[in-house]
Amino acid sequence: MAMIEKLDKHTLKNGMVILGEQMEAVQSVAFGFMLPAGAAMLPDDCCGAANVIADWIFRGAGDKNSRQLSDALDGLGLHRASSISSSHISIGAALEASNLSQALDLHADIIIRPSLDKDQFELARQLAIDGVQALDDDPRQKVMLKLKEQFYPAPLGRSTAGDIEQLSSLTAEQTGQIVKDSFSLSESIFAVAGKYDFDSVCRQLDGLFGTVSARQVEPSVLGLKAEKYQHIPNEGAQVHIGLMTETVKLTDSDYYNARVAMSVLSGGMSARLFTEVREKRGLCYAVGARYHALKETAGIMCYAGTIPENAQETLDVIMREFNRLREGISEDEIERAKAGLKSMLILQSESSSSRAGGIATDYYMLGRVRSLDEIKNRIDATSVDSILRFLQNNEFREFTVVTIGPKQVSVQ
Amino acid sequence: MEFRKKTLTNGLDIVGELNKSAKSVAVGFFIKTGSRDETKQINGASHFLEHMLFKGTERLSAIEVNEAFDRTGAQYNAFTSEENTVFYAAVLPEYFARVTELWIELMRPALRDQDFNIEKNVIKEEIAMYKDLPSFDVVDRCRSLHFDTHPCGNSVLGSEESVEALQANQMRDYFMRRYVPNNMVLACAGNFEWERLCSLAEQTCCGWQRQTVERELQHFTGSKRKEHIKKANLAREHICLMSAGVSAQNERRFAASLLAAIIGDEVGSRYYWQLIDKAIAETAVMQFGAMDGTGAFCSYIRCGSENVPEVLGIINGIFVDLSKAGITKEELIKAKNKMLSALVIKNELPMGRLIDLGFNWIYLKQYRTVDDDINAIKAVTVKDINLLIRHLEPGDFTQFSIGPTQSE
Repeated sequence: MAMIEKLDKHTLKNGMVILGEQMEAVQSVAFGFMLPAGAAMLPDDCCGAANVIADWIFRGAGDKNSRQLSDALDGLGLHRASSISSSHISIGAALEASNLSQALDLHADIIIRPSLDKDQFELARQLAIDGVQALDDDPRQKVMLKLKEQFYPAPLGRSTAGDIEQLSSLTAEQTGQIVKDSFSLSESIFAVAGKYDFDSVCRQLDGLFGTVSARQVEPSVLGLKAEKYQHIPNEGAQVHIGLMTETVKLTDSDYYNARVAMSVLSGGMSARLFTEVREKRGLCYAVGARYHALKETAGIMCYAGTIPENAQETLDVIMREFNRLREGISEDEIERAKAGLKSMLILQSESSSSRAGGIATDYYMLGRVRSLDEIKNRIDATSVDSILRFLQNNEFREFTVVTIGPKQVSVQ
Repeated sequence: MEFRKKTLTNGLDIVGELNKSAKSVAVGFFIKTGSRDETKQINGASHFLEHMLFKGTERLSAIEVNEAFDRTGAQYNAFTSEENTVFYAAVLPEYFARVTELWIELMRPALRDQDFNIEKNVIKEEIAMYKDLPSFDVVDRCRSLHFDTHPCGNSVLGSEESVEALQANQMRDYFMRRYVPNNMVLACAGNFEWERLCSLAEQTCCGWQRQTVERELQHFTGSKRKEHIKKANLAREHICLMSAGVSAQNERRFAASLLAAIIGDEVGSRYYWQLIDKAIAETAVMQFGAMDGTGAFCSYIRCGSENVPEVLGIINGIFVDLSKAGITKEELIKAKNKMLSALVIKNELPMGRLIDLGFNWIYLKQYRTVDDDINAIKAVTVKDINLLIRHLEPGDFTQFSIGPTQSE
């Protein structure tokens, strides 16, 4: 069965790209603005500013104060979804389709005309600091943030939560300037999926954003990678292990070989990590690896949580499974891995929020949006041979490891 | 959308909602059993049993079960609560029969000693994982404190000690008593063929034996006790508040959900404006959970230890205001709009639809369309909610907190 989805695309005069995907079966619509102001895009010494900004711009915009703006958004029944990545601040929402136009008007105010009131800044900054402190009580999340910091060359892995010292010295002037400099519309992407009329969306966005001038964002200069192993002591019940190693980017011809290989390692419950670590040895409840890509580089991220007595064995088994992958994979394993990837693709395509996110990310990473059929065909085109060849040419050599817990591990 | 229903002679209910325009289908078993149905001696058995169902049957090993699921590309899992155990899978329509057959087969597991012993370690790891998540731990402990002697206070995971002491034959006995056809619902939503579902179920499930099943069902308003424990390795104070709610069978459950949103939705609620907006607390949310014969409001608040007295003072003020002046019309409109759009969005996915379809059957033996729920939400008035506040007194709560300092 061919999957036919129509991609809408339009570019505003200032360079902002508008993407859309119609979905027949839904009454909702989801949209998102990807603004090039992610953690790695900010000036040095203000780690966490993106988090402050994502809160601050909602504290009043256009002719509305914080309360009026919030009431207006809630009045539309809108489900807000902001997130910070290495590259972007993403601001979006899902809502009933009939309220889209009003929601876009409010978002134009939030993005182009935030009030950036000084008193409100202090509150947004305090909440960002509190958020970093709360990570100490969530070691599982903290270990993955630390892992990215260790693994990616600076500033790509910079914490999306922030740094307490840098947040403490951040000023409203400095942060206001970042909003002016970084909310560059020429490099922003707008994506919408679900039920909408593309012509009227474009006309409206052209009126709201089209005349706002564009600025170029400077690419960051990459620094060195941090050391290979970091341990953070914590008197908790488990050792939380994060492990990461390099792999190919989304633009690489071996990308689909890498994705299917990852799925053999940690796709479903019959994948290698789950089988060897949990099913056969009972070492962990949570163990899994996933592909994590930035535009500049990509990695495989793995997490496992286990009681201190089992930590070393867990790490050893995981590393052995990474290295054993290139020694051989069965046809049946590849078939299961492919079935899992293809079905996930289609199941996610039923959600307007995941489609809006998917097309925007594709455009940022590739400069175009892949159709579901293209992805499906490329997954199908991989084979035991192509995957083993890829793994043999791209051995997992270096592992970056971070642990949080009462006991250290030794990393070869 | 078309609703279909069939009951086998042994009492197994099969319910389906067909949507030919969906790209996928979700299918699952809902079993009316959870930690409230356990005695202290076997606390944790329902959740442990949920894990054990994946360990295979007389015919299939655990690894073969995992492989069989993964061959269908299914997104599948299970969860256990105080009163239900749910097994679910979302697949493409061409794999519907295969994945349904698999669930049916797994409902009669082998429960082997060897699998039981390995899985015990996994369960102990899961208990350890949640110990390191105070935001979860505090809710679990507050529930126990709130429900006190009522069985809804039983921990879903059990304790390390209760799980350690649990024997395979105790679990087999529990299984025999609870996984009986008249205590289970087979539900399906999305793009599938109803006749196929029925024939698959009839082939195998007809052999399952009906048996009398009981559950203690008294309502409980809560212990209203307050406790705090110190954990030196924590950075923040985690506070949980619980108070009496209405049951899943009570039509005022929609009003109760709206009240929880007015008090403690993530944005735009009373908690939000008085605690989060002012950066006095970092998180403050309230949810309403309707249960079998009872119900509870549950708040979770996270803040710095130095702010605890101020936070509790503000929360007290919110409840005093509510009991004196009630809610406003504007608050209700906003809460309704948010709840209605969340409902629509969730039900666009067969997986979201399956959960509502299954639980409506478990609690009400009733099919409710999305529109039925939309209309019920729209019909709630300011007066309904103000009466609910007067009747339930949400300010009279049980409180449990965990944090780095001695006093709360």
